[in-house]
Amino acid sequence: MEEQEKPTKVVDARGSFCPGPLMELIKAYKSAKTNDVISLYSTDTGTKKDAAAWINKSGNQLIGVFDREGYYEIVMKKTK
Amino acid sequence: MVTNILILGDGAAGTIMANKLRFLTHREDAEITVIGNSKYHYFKPDGIHIPLGIKNYRDSVKNPKFLFNYGINYVRDSVTRIDVDNRNVSTQSGKNYTYDYLVIATGDRLVPEEIENFDREAHHFYTLEGSLELKEKLSGFNGGKIVIGPSSIPYQCPPAPYEFAFQLDRYLRRRGIRDKTELHYIFPLNRVFTMENVSNYVQKLFDEKDIIYHTLFNLESIDAQKKTVSSLEGEDQKYDFLILVPPHKGQQVITESGLAGDQGYIAVDRHHLNYGDYDNVFVVGDATDLPISKAGATAHFQSEYLSGRIASEISGFVAEELYDGSVACTTVTGDEKAFTLYFSYTRPPRALFQSKADYLLKWTSADTYFSGMLRGVM
Ligand SMILES: Cc1cc2nc3c(=O)[nH]c(=O)nc-3n(C[C@H](O)[C@H](O)[C@H](O)COP(=O)(O)OP(=O)(O)OC[C@H]3O[C@@H](n4cnc5c(N)ncnc54)[C@H](O)[C@@H]3O)c2cc1C
Repeated sequence: MEEQEKPTKVVDARGSFCPGPLMELIKAYKSAKTNDVISLYSTDTGTKKDAAAWINKSGNQLIGVFDREGYYEIVMKKTK
Repeated sequence: MVTNILILGDGAAGTIMANKLRFLTHREDAEITVIGNSKYHYFKPDGIHIPLGIKNYRDSVKNPKFLFNYGINYVRDSVTRIDVDNRNVSTQSGKNYTYDYLVIATGDRLVPEEIENFDREAHHFYTLEGSLELKEKLSGFNGGKIVIGPSSIPYQCPPAPYEFAFQLDRYLRRRGIRDKTELHYIFPLNRVFTMENVSNYVQKLFDEKDIIYHTLFNLESIDAQKKTVSSLEGEDQKYDFLILVPPHKGQQVITESGLAGDQGYIAVDRHHLNYGDYDNVFVVGDATDLPISKAGATAHFQSEYLSGRIASEISGFVAEELYDGSVACTTVTGDEKAFTLYFSYTRPPRALFQSKADYLLKWTSADTYFSGMLRGVM
Protein backbone atom coordinates (compact mmCIF):
# COMPACT_ATOMS: atom_id res chain seq x y z
CA MET A 1 0.00 0.00 0.00
CA GLU A 2 1.14 3.55 -0.58
CA GLU A 3 2.20 5.76 2.30
CA GLN A 4 -1.02 7.85 2.41
CA GLU A 5 -3.16 4.70 2.58
CA LYS A 6 -1.75 3.55 5.89
CA PRO A 7 -4.78 2.78 8.03
CA THR A 8 -5.71 5.26 10.72
CA LYS A 9 -7.74 2.52 12.37
CA VAL A 10 -7.55 -1.25 12.19
CA VAL A 11 -10.66 -3.27 13.01
CA ASP A 12 -9.72 -6.86 13.71
CA ALA A 13 -12.94 -8.86 13.33
CA ARG A 14 -11.26 -12.19 12.61
CA GLY A 15 -13.22 -15.11 14.03
CA SER A 16 -16.46 -13.16 14.05
CA PHE A 17 -19.32 -14.02 11.65
CA CYS A 18 -21.80 -11.95 9.69
CA PRO A 19 -23.03 -9.40 10.66
CA GLY A 20 -20.27 -8.91 13.27
CA PRO A 21 -17.46 -7.65 10.98
CA LEU A 22 -19.64 -5.14 9.13
CA MET A 23 -21.11 -3.84 12.39
CA GLU A 24 -17.56 -3.43 13.77
CA LEU A 25 -16.60 -1.49 10.65
CA ILE A 26 -19.63 0.79 10.98
CA LYS A 27 -18.81 1.40 14.65
CA ALA A 28 -15.24 2.39 13.75
CA TYR A 29 -16.57 4.56 10.90
CA LYS A 30 -18.86 6.47 13.25
CA SER A 31 -15.97 7.51 15.46
CA ALA A 32 -13.57 8.22 12.54
CA LYS A 33 -12.80 11.59 10.95
CA THR A 34 -13.09 12.50 7.26
CA ASN A 35 -10.11 11.15 5.26
CA ASP A 36 -9.36 8.49 7.87
CA VAL A 37 -8.44 5.13 6.37
CA ILE A 38 -10.04 2.14 8.07
CA SER A 39 -8.82 -1.37 7.61
CA LEU A 40 -11.07 -4.33 8.41
CA TYR A 41 -9.64 -7.84 8.97
CA SER A 42 -12.14 -10.63 8.56
CA THR A 43 -12.25 -14.39 8.14
CA ASP A 44 -15.95 -14.42 7.23
CA THR A 45 -16.15 -14.69 3.43
CA GLY A 46 -19.59 -13.04 3.16
CA THR A 47 -18.21 -9.84 4.66
CA LYS A 48 -16.24 -9.08 1.47
CA LYS A 49 -19.46 -8.48 -0.46
CA ASP A 50 -21.37 -6.93 2.45
CA ALA A 51 -18.67 -4.45 3.43
CA ALA A 52 -18.05 -3.40 -0.18
CA ALA A 53 -21.80 -2.83 -0.67
CA TRP A 54 -22.00 -0.76 2.49
CA ILE A 55 -18.92 1.35 1.64
CA ASN A 56 -20.35 2.15 -1.80
CA LYS A 57 -23.88 2.87 -0.56
CA SER A 58 -22.63 5.12 2.21
CA GLY A 59 -20.71 7.16 -0.39
CA ASN A 60 -17.26 6.38 0.97
CA GLN A 61 -14.27 5.04 -0.93
CA LEU A 62 -13.34 1.39 -1.16
CA ILE A 63 -9.56 1.35 -1.47
CA GLY A 64 -9.31 -2.38 -1.91
CA VAL A 65 -9.87 -5.95 -0.78
CA PHE A 66 -6.65 -7.86 -0.13
CA ASP A 67 -6.10 -11.56 0.49
CA ARG A 68 -3.87 -12.07 3.50
CA GLU A 69 -2.71 -15.28 5.10
CA GLY A 70 -5.80 -16.95 6.54
CA TYR A 71 -7.92 -13.82 6.37
CA TYR A 72 -8.57 -10.83 4.15
CA GLU A 73 -8.37 -7.12 4.58
CA ILE A 74 -10.87 -4.54 3.36
CA VAL A 75 -9.55 -1.01 3.26
CA MET A 76 -11.82 2.03 3.02
CA LYS A 77 -11.47 5.78 3.25
CA LYS A 78 -14.03 7.91 5.02
CA THR A 79 -14.75 10.61 2.47
CA LYS A 80 -17.83 12.15 4.10
CA MET B 1 -18.68 -31.22 50.33
CA VAL B 2 -21.49 -29.12 48.95
CA THR B 3 -20.75 -27.24 45.71
CA ASN B 4 -22.15 -23.76 45.69
CA ILE B 5 -23.64 -22.74 42.31
CA LEU B 6 -24.66 -19.11 41.92
CA ILE B 7 -26.77 -18.05 38.93
CA LEU B 8 -27.29 -14.36 38.14
CA GLY B 9 -30.49 -13.56 36.23
CA ASP B 10 -34.01 -14.99 36.43
CA GLY B 11 -34.96 -14.85 32.77
CA ALA B 12 -34.98 -17.66 30.22
CA ALA B 13 -31.32 -18.68 30.59
CA GLY B 14 -31.06 -18.39 34.38
CA THR B 15 -34.29 -20.29 35.02
CA ILE B 16 -33.53 -23.12 32.57
CA MET B 17 -29.98 -23.46 33.96
CA ALA B 18 -31.19 -23.63 37.57
CA ASN B 19 -33.95 -26.14 36.86
CA LYS B 20 -31.77 -28.38 34.71
CA LEU B 21 -28.99 -28.34 37.29
CA ARG B 22 -31.46 -29.23 40.03
CA PHE B 23 -32.57 -32.27 38.05
CA LEU B 24 -28.98 -33.34 37.45
CA THR B 25 -27.51 -32.93 40.94
CA HIS B 26 -28.30 -34.21 44.43
CA ARG B 27 -29.26 -31.58 46.97
CA GLU B 28 -26.55 -32.77 49.35
CA ASP B 29 -23.93 -32.29 46.57
CA ALA B 30 -24.98 -28.95 45.12
CA GLU B 31 -26.66 -25.85 46.43
CA ILE B 32 -28.24 -23.69 43.73
CA THR B 33 -28.99 -20.00 44.28
CA VAL B 34 -30.52 -17.69 41.69
CA ILE B 35 -30.43 -13.90 42.10
CA GLY B 36 -32.82 -12.06 39.81
CA ASN B 37 -34.65 -8.77 39.73
CA SER B 38 -37.52 -9.30 37.30
CA LYS B 39 -40.99 -8.14 38.32
CA TYR B 40 -42.55 -10.92 36.26
CA HIS B 41 -41.38 -13.53 33.78
CA TYR B 42 -42.71 -12.49 30.39
CA PHE B 43 -42.60 -14.76 27.34
CA LYS B 44 -41.18 -12.20 24.91
CA PRO B 45 -41.92 -14.07 21.64
CA ASP B 46 -45.61 -13.26 22.19
CA GLY B 47 -44.69 -9.65 21.37
CA ILE B 48 -45.49 -10.50 17.74
CA HIS B 49 -49.09 -11.41 18.68
CA ILE B 50 -50.11 -9.18 21.62
CA PRO B 51 -50.01 -5.76 19.84
CA LEU B 52 -52.28 -7.13 17.11
CA GLY B 53 -54.94 -8.22 19.58
CA ILE B 54 -54.68 -11.91 18.68
CA LYS B 55 -53.33 -13.08 22.04
CA ASN B 56 -54.11 -12.10 25.59
CA TYR B 57 -51.00 -11.03 27.50
CA ARG B 58 -52.12 -12.88 30.65
CA ASP B 59 -51.07 -16.20 29.11
CA SER B 60 -47.56 -14.84 28.54
CA VAL B 61 -46.73 -13.74 32.09
CA LYS B 62 -45.88 -15.72 35.22
CA ASN B 63 -44.54 -14.98 38.69
CA PRO B 64 -40.84 -16.00 38.51
CA LYS B 65 -40.97 -17.39 42.03
CA PHE B 66 -43.13 -20.30 40.90
CA LEU B 67 -40.98 -21.22 37.93
CA PHE B 68 -38.14 -22.71 39.96
CA ASN B 69 -38.12 -26.39 40.85
CA TYR B 70 -38.06 -27.52 44.46
CA GLY B 71 -34.63 -27.16 46.07
CA ILE B 72 -33.57 -23.92 44.38
CA ASN B 73 -32.90 -20.87 46.49
CA TYR B 74 -34.43 -17.91 44.58
CA VAL B 75 -33.49 -14.44 45.81
CA ARG B 76 -35.17 -11.31 44.45
CA ASP B 77 -32.45 -8.70 44.41
CA SER B 78 -30.30 -6.73 41.97
CA VAL B 79 -26.67 -7.61 41.41
CA THR B 80 -24.52 -4.50 41.72
CA ARG B 81 -21.01 -5.94 41.47
CA ILE B 82 -19.41 -9.14 40.20
CA ASP B 83 -15.85 -9.71 41.40
CA VAL B 84 -14.58 -12.85 39.70
CA ASP B 85 -11.09 -12.59 41.22
CA ASN B 86 -12.44 -12.76 44.74
CA ARG B 87 -15.44 -14.97 43.89
CA ASN B 88 -17.82 -12.39 45.29
CA VAL B 89 -21.16 -11.02 44.09
CA SER B 90 -22.71 -7.98 45.80
CA THR B 91 -26.34 -6.95 45.64
CA GLN B 92 -28.42 -3.84 46.09
CA SER B 93 -29.71 -4.98 49.48
CA GLY B 94 -26.13 -5.02 50.77
CA LYS B 95 -25.62 -8.78 50.73
CA ASN B 96 -22.55 -10.63 49.45
CA TYR B 97 -22.51 -14.07 47.90
CA THR B 98 -19.61 -16.37 47.20
CA TYR B 99 -19.60 -19.38 44.87
CA ASP B 100 -17.78 -22.38 43.47
CA TYR B 101 -19.46 -21.95 40.08
CA LEU B 102 -20.84 -18.68 38.77
CA VAL B 103 -23.30 -18.59 35.85
CA ILE B 104 -24.03 -15.13 34.47
CA ALA B 105 -27.43 -15.00 32.74
CA THR B 106 -28.35 -11.34 33.02
CA GLY B 107 -29.46 -10.98 29.38
CA ASP B 108 -29.37 -7.56 27.78
CA ARG B 109 -31.29 -4.29 28.12
CA LEU B 110 -33.04 -1.88 25.80
CA VAL B 111 -31.46 1.56 25.46
CA PRO B 112 -33.93 3.67 23.41
CA GLU B 113 -32.38 6.79 24.97
CA GLU B 114 -29.36 6.26 22.70
CA ILE B 115 -31.44 7.56 19.77
CA GLU B 116 -32.87 11.04 20.14
CA ASN B 117 -36.69 11.13 19.84
CA PHE B 118 -37.00 7.35 19.99
CA ASP B 119 -39.35 7.38 23.00
CA ARG B 120 -41.43 10.20 21.55
CA GLU B 121 -41.80 8.86 18.03
CA ALA B 122 -41.19 5.13 17.85
CA HIS B 123 -43.34 2.26 19.06
CA HIS B 124 -42.05 -1.22 19.75
CA PHE B 125 -43.04 -4.74 20.73
CA TYR B 126 -39.90 -5.69 22.68
CA THR B 127 -41.42 -5.49 26.18
CA LEU B 128 -44.89 -6.21 27.50
CA GLU B 129 -45.47 -2.51 28.23
CA GLY B 130 -44.30 -1.60 24.72
CA SER B 131 -46.56 -4.24 23.17
CA LEU B 132 -49.65 -3.06 25.05
CA GLU B 133 -48.98 0.55 24.15
CA LEU B 134 -48.44 -0.40 20.51
CA LYS B 135 -51.74 -2.30 20.53
CA GLU B 136 -53.59 0.81 21.63
CA LYS B 137 -51.84 3.09 19.12
CA LEU B 138 -52.37 0.66 16.24
CA SER B 139 -56.10 0.53 16.92
CA GLY B 140 -56.20 4.26 16.17
CA PHE B 141 -54.21 3.90 12.93
CA ASN B 142 -56.35 4.22 9.82
CA GLY B 143 -53.86 4.23 6.98
CA GLY B 144 -50.61 5.91 5.95
CA LYS B 145 -46.98 4.91 5.79
CA ILE B 146 -45.58 2.52 8.41
CA VAL B 147 -41.81 2.17 8.71
CA ILE B 148 -40.60 -0.88 10.63
CA GLY B 149 -37.22 -2.47 11.38
CA PRO B 150 -34.32 -2.81 13.78
CA SER B 151 -32.50 0.35 14.79
CA SER B 152 -29.19 -1.46 15.25
CA ILE B 153 -27.55 -4.89 15.50
CA PRO B 154 -27.38 -6.97 17.72
CA TYR B 155 -30.93 -7.28 18.99
CA GLN B 156 -32.96 -10.14 20.44
CA CYS B 157 -34.46 -12.68 18.06
CA PRO B 158 -33.17 -11.53 14.66
CA PRO B 159 -36.34 -12.65 12.76
CA ALA B 160 -38.75 -10.81 15.10
CA PRO B 161 -38.99 -7.54 13.08
CA TYR B 162 -39.80 -9.32 9.81
CA GLU B 163 -42.21 -11.62 11.66
CA PHE B 164 -43.94 -8.53 13.00
CA ALA B 165 -44.08 -7.00 9.52
CA PHE B 166 -45.83 -10.14 8.22
CA GLN B 167 -48.24 -10.19 11.14
CA LEU B 168 -48.95 -6.50 10.66
CA ASP B 169 -49.69 -7.01 6.95
CA ARG B 170 -52.34 -9.57 7.91
CA TYR B 171 -53.75 -7.35 10.67
CA LEU B 172 -54.10 -4.42 8.29
CA ARG B 173 -55.85 -6.61 5.71
CA ARG B 174 -58.27 -7.89 8.32
CA ARG B 175 -59.05 -4.33 9.33
CA GLY B 176 -59.61 -3.46 5.66
CA ILE B 177 -56.93 -0.74 5.61
CA ARG B 178 -54.05 -2.55 3.89
CA ASP B 179 -54.77 -0.76 0.59
CA LYS B 180 -54.52 2.56 2.43
CA THR B 181 -51.20 1.58 4.04
CA GLU B 182 -47.65 1.40 2.75
CA LEU B 183 -45.46 -1.00 4.73
CA HIS B 184 -41.74 -0.20 4.57
CA TYR B 185 -39.07 -2.43 6.09
CA ILE B 186 -35.60 -1.09 6.92
CA PHE B 187 -32.55 -3.28 7.59
CA PRO B 188 -28.86 -2.48 8.28
CA LEU B 189 -27.32 -5.06 5.90
CA ASN B 190 -27.44 -5.34 2.10
CA ARG B 191 -30.33 -7.82 2.36
CA VAL B 192 -33.41 -8.17 4.57
CA PHE B 193 -31.93 -10.67 7.02
CA THR B 194 -28.50 -11.73 8.24
CA MET B 195 -28.42 -15.21 6.67
CA GLU B 196 -28.44 -15.10 2.91
CA ASN B 197 -30.73 -18.03 2.09
CA VAL B 198 -33.28 -16.96 4.74
CA SER B 199 -33.05 -13.43 3.44
CA ASN B 200 -33.83 -14.55 -0.14
CA TYR B 201 -36.86 -16.43 1.11
CA VAL B 202 -38.16 -13.55 3.23
CA GLN B 203 -37.51 -11.09 0.40
CA LYS B 204 -39.69 -13.18 -1.92
CA LEU B 205 -42.49 -13.14 0.65
CA PHE B 206 -42.08 -9.38 1.12
CA ASP B 207 -42.52 -8.97 -2.65
CA GLU B 208 -45.64 -11.15 -2.65
CA LYS B 209 -47.16 -9.17 0.22
CA ASP B 210 -46.14 -5.77 -1.12
CA ILE B 211 -43.84 -4.99 1.79
CA ILE B 212 -41.28 -2.51 0.48
CA TYR B 213 -37.73 -2.93 1.81
CA HIS B 214 -34.77 -0.61 2.16
CA THR B 215 -31.48 -2.38 2.81
CA LEU B 216 -28.20 -0.89 4.10
CA PHE B 217 -30.29 1.37 6.27
CA ASN B 218 -28.40 1.92 9.51
CA LEU B 219 -30.66 4.18 11.50
CA GLU B 220 -28.94 7.37 12.54
CA SER B 221 -31.64 9.81 13.57
CA ILE B 222 -35.35 10.42 13.97
CA ASP B 223 -36.67 13.87 13.06
CA ALA B 224 -39.85 14.32 15.08
CA GLN B 225 -40.90 17.49 13.22
CA LYS B 226 -40.47 16.15 9.71
CA LYS B 227 -41.55 12.63 10.75
CA THR B 228 -38.53 11.20 9.01
CA VAL B 229 -35.95 8.53 9.86
CA SER B 230 -32.49 9.00 8.36
CA SER B 231 -29.77 6.46 7.82
CA LEU B 232 -26.03 6.68 8.21
CA GLU B 233 -25.89 5.94 4.47
CA GLY B 234 -27.76 9.15 3.70
CA GLU B 235 -31.28 7.84 2.98
CA ASP B 236 -34.43 9.39 4.45
CA GLN B 237 -37.78 7.69 4.95
CA LYS B 238 -40.88 9.62 5.95
CA TYR B 239 -43.34 7.83 8.23
CA ASP B 240 -46.79 8.26 9.68
CA PHE B 241 -46.29 5.40 12.11
CA LEU B 242 -42.89 4.19 13.28
CA ILE B 243 -42.15 0.74 14.75
CA LEU B 244 -38.51 0.18 15.67
CA VAL B 245 -36.61 -2.40 17.65
CA PRO B 246 -34.87 -0.32 20.34
CA PRO B 247 -31.07 -0.45 20.47
CA HIS B 248 -29.74 -3.13 22.86
CA LYS B 249 -26.78 -3.31 25.23
CA GLY B 250 -25.55 -5.73 27.87
CA GLN B 251 -26.34 -4.93 31.51
CA GLN B 252 -24.62 -2.01 33.20
CA VAL B 253 -23.38 -4.23 36.05
CA ILE B 254 -21.36 -6.22 33.51
CA THR B 255 -19.55 -3.13 32.21
CA GLU B 256 -19.14 -1.68 35.69
CA SER B 257 -17.64 -4.92 36.97
CA GLY B 258 -15.07 -4.82 34.15
CA LEU B 259 -16.38 -8.00 32.50
CA ALA B 260 -17.06 -6.25 29.17
CA GLY B 261 -16.61 -2.91 27.42
CA ASP B 262 -19.24 -0.25 26.83
CA GLN B 263 -21.49 -2.58 24.79
CA GLY B 264 -21.79 -4.82 27.84
CA TYR B 265 -21.60 -8.22 26.10
CA ILE B 266 -19.20 -10.71 27.70
CA ALA B 267 -16.57 -12.45 25.56
CA VAL B 268 -16.70 -16.18 26.26
CA ASP B 269 -15.07 -19.29 24.88
CA ARG B 270 -17.37 -20.30 22.03
CA HIS B 271 -17.23 -24.02 22.78
CA HIS B 272 -17.06 -24.00 26.61
CA LEU B 273 -18.95 -20.77 27.45
CA ASN B 274 -16.48 -19.84 30.18
CA TYR B 275 -15.26 -16.30 30.71
CA GLY B 276 -11.55 -15.54 30.15
CA ASP B 277 -9.21 -17.88 32.01
CA TYR B 278 -11.78 -18.69 34.67
CA ASP B 279 -12.93 -22.28 34.55
CA ASN B 280 -15.71 -21.67 37.09
CA VAL B 281 -17.31 -18.55 35.55
CA PHE B 282 -19.77 -19.13 32.69
CA VAL B 283 -22.10 -16.97 30.66
CA VAL B 284 -25.33 -18.13 28.96
CA GLY B 285 -28.09 -16.45 26.97
CA ASP B 286 -28.16 -12.91 25.62
CA ALA B 287 -25.34 -11.74 27.90
CA THR B 288 -22.60 -13.29 25.71
CA ASP B 289 -20.95 -11.65 22.72
CA LEU B 290 -21.17 -14.86 20.66
CA PRO B 291 -21.96 -14.39 16.98
CA ILE B 292 -25.24 -16.31 17.19
CA SER B 293 -28.89 -15.33 17.61
CA LYS B 294 -29.85 -13.75 20.90
CA ALA B 295 -32.72 -16.14 21.47
CA GLY B 296 -34.44 -18.21 24.12
CA ALA B 297 -33.64 -21.23 21.96
CA THR B 298 -29.94 -20.35 22.17
CA ALA B 299 -30.24 -20.06 25.97
CA HIS B 300 -31.94 -23.46 25.99
CA PHE B 301 -29.23 -25.24 23.97
CA GLN B 302 -26.47 -23.55 25.96
CA SER B 303 -28.08 -24.55 29.26
CA GLU B 304 -28.41 -28.11 28.04
CA TYR B 305 -24.68 -28.19 27.41
CA LEU B 306 -23.56 -26.25 30.48
CA SER B 307 -25.79 -27.90 33.09
CA GLY B 308 -24.53 -31.29 31.89
CA ARG B 309 -20.95 -30.14 32.12
CA ILE B 310 -21.21 -28.62 35.61
CA ALA B 311 -23.21 -31.57 36.95
CA SER B 312 -20.67 -34.03 35.59
CA GLU B 313 -17.77 -32.07 37.11
CA ILE B 314 -19.53 -32.13 40.48
CA SER B 315 -19.98 -35.88 40.24
CA GLY B 316 -16.25 -36.17 39.58
CA PHE B 317 -16.28 -36.99 35.93
CA VAL B 318 -15.38 -34.53 33.23
CA ALA B 319 -17.41 -34.53 30.03
CA GLU B 320 -15.56 -33.70 26.84
CA GLU B 321 -18.65 -32.41 25.04
CA LEU B 322 -18.43 -29.03 23.31
CA TYR B 323 -21.13 -26.44 22.75
CA ASP B 324 -21.63 -26.22 18.97
CA GLY B 325 -23.71 -23.03 18.60
CA SER B 326 -26.98 -24.87 17.89
CA VAL B 327 -30.15 -22.82 17.55
CA ALA B 328 -33.65 -23.78 16.42
CA CYS B 329 -36.15 -21.08 15.74
CA THR B 330 -39.66 -20.97 14.33
CA THR B 331 -40.46 -17.78 12.51
CA VAL B 332 -43.87 -16.55 11.43
CA THR B 333 -44.58 -15.49 7.85
CA GLY B 334 -48.14 -14.23 8.32
CA ASP B 335 -51.37 -15.94 7.20
CA GLU B 336 -51.01 -18.44 10.05
CA LYS B 337 -47.87 -19.97 8.57
CA ALA B 338 -44.32 -20.24 9.81
CA PHE B 339 -41.01 -21.96 9.06
CA THR B 340 -38.42 -23.44 11.37
CA LEU B 341 -34.68 -22.94 11.10
CA TYR B 342 -32.03 -25.22 12.58
CA PHE B 343 -28.43 -24.08 12.50
CA SER B 344 -25.17 -23.97 14.44
CA TYR B 345 -21.73 -22.31 14.22
CA THR B 346 -20.84 -24.49 11.25
CA ARG B 347 -24.21 -25.62 9.85
CA PRO B 348 -26.20 -22.97 7.96
CA PRO B 349 -30.01 -23.29 7.96
CA ARG B 350 -31.26 -25.69 5.33
CA ALA B 351 -34.20 -25.68 2.89
CA LEU B 352 -37.08 -23.49 3.93
CA PHE B 353 -40.78 -24.10 3.63
CA GLN B 354 -43.75 -22.63 5.43
CA SER B 355 -46.45 -24.67 7.11
CA LYS B 356 -49.48 -24.35 9.34
CA ALA B 357 -47.93 -26.95 11.68
CA ASP B 358 -44.95 -24.67 12.29
CA TYR B 359 -47.33 -21.81 13.05
CA LEU B 360 -49.12 -23.98 15.57
CA LEU B 361 -45.76 -24.73 17.16
CA LYS B 362 -45.14 -21.01 17.51
CA TRP B 363 -48.67 -20.21 18.66
CA THR B 364 -48.46 -22.74 21.50
CA SER B 365 -44.86 -21.97 22.41
CA ALA B 366 -45.70 -20.01 25.57
CA ASP B 367 -47.26 -23.18 27.04
CA THR B 368 -44.34 -25.35 25.93
CA TYR B 369 -41.98 -22.75 27.36
CA PHE B 370 -43.56 -22.37 30.79
CA SER B 371 -44.42 -25.99 31.35
CA GLY B 372 -41.52 -27.73 29.65
CA MET B 373 -38.51 -25.77 28.45
CA LEU B 374 -38.20 -23.43 31.43
CA ARG B 375 -38.82 -26.27 33.88
CA GLY B 376 -35.76 -28.08 32.57
CA VAL B 377 -37.63 -31.16 31.41
CA MET B 378 -36.98 -30.57 27.69
C1 LIG C 1 -40.25 -9.56 20.52
C2 LIG C 1 -39.36 -10.71 20.85
C3 LIG C 1 -39.56 -11.93 20.22
C4 LIG C 1 -38.73 -12.99 20.52
N1 LIG C 1 -38.95 -14.18 19.88
C5 LIG C 1 -38.17 -15.25 20.16
C6 LIG C 1 -38.43 -16.51 19.56
O1 LIG C 1 -39.35 -16.67 18.78
N2 LIG C 1 -37.61 -17.53 19.85
C7 LIG C 1 -36.56 -17.41 20.72
O2 LIG C 1 -35.86 -18.38 20.95
N3 LIG C 1 -36.29 -16.23 21.32
C8 LIG C 1 -37.08 -15.15 21.06
N4 LIG C 1 -36.83 -13.95 21.68
C9 LIG C 1 -35.59 -13.76 22.47
C10 LIG C 1 -35.65 -14.31 23.88
O3 LIG C 1 -36.76 -13.82 24.57
C11 LIG C 1 -34.38 -13.89 24.61
O4 LIG C 1 -33.26 -14.20 23.81
C12 LIG C 1 -34.26 -14.61 25.93
O5 LIG C 1 -35.20 -14.09 26.83
C13 LIG C 1 -32.85 -14.47 26.50
O6 LIG C 1 -32.76 -15.05 27.76
P1 LIG C 1 -31.77 -14.46 28.86
O7 LIG C 1 -32.06 -15.24 30.08
O8 LIG C 1 -30.41 -14.40 28.33
O9 LIG C 1 -32.25 -12.96 29.06
P2 LIG C 1 -33.61 -12.47 29.75
O10 LIG C 1 -34.69 -13.45 29.49
O11 LIG C 1 -33.78 -11.08 29.33
O12 LIG C 1 -33.29 -12.55 31.30
C14 LIG C 1 -32.33 -11.77 31.94
C15 LIG C 1 -32.73 -11.71 33.40
O13 LIG C 1 -31.70 -11.13 34.18
C16 LIG C 1 -32.27 -10.26 35.12
N5 LIG C 1 -31.25 -9.26 35.46
C17 LIG C 1 -30.66 -8.38 34.64
N6 LIG C 1 -29.78 -7.61 35.31
C18 LIG C 1 -29.82 -8.04 36.60
C19 LIG C 1 -29.16 -7.61 37.77
N7 LIG C 1 -28.28 -6.63 37.77
N8 LIG C 1 -29.46 -8.25 38.94
C20 LIG C 1 -30.37 -9.27 38.98
N9 LIG C 1 -31.02 -9.70 37.88
C21 LIG C 1 -30.75 -9.09 36.70
C22 LIG C 1 -33.49 -9.67 34.42
O14 LIG C 1 -34.45 -9.22 35.35
C23 LIG C 1 -33.97 -10.85 33.62
O15 LIG C 1 -34.91 -11.62 34.34
C24 LIG C 1 -37.66 -12.85 21.44
C25 LIG C 1 -37.46 -11.63 22.09
C26 LIG C 1 -38.30 -10.56 21.81
C27 LIG C 1 -38.09 -9.27 22.53
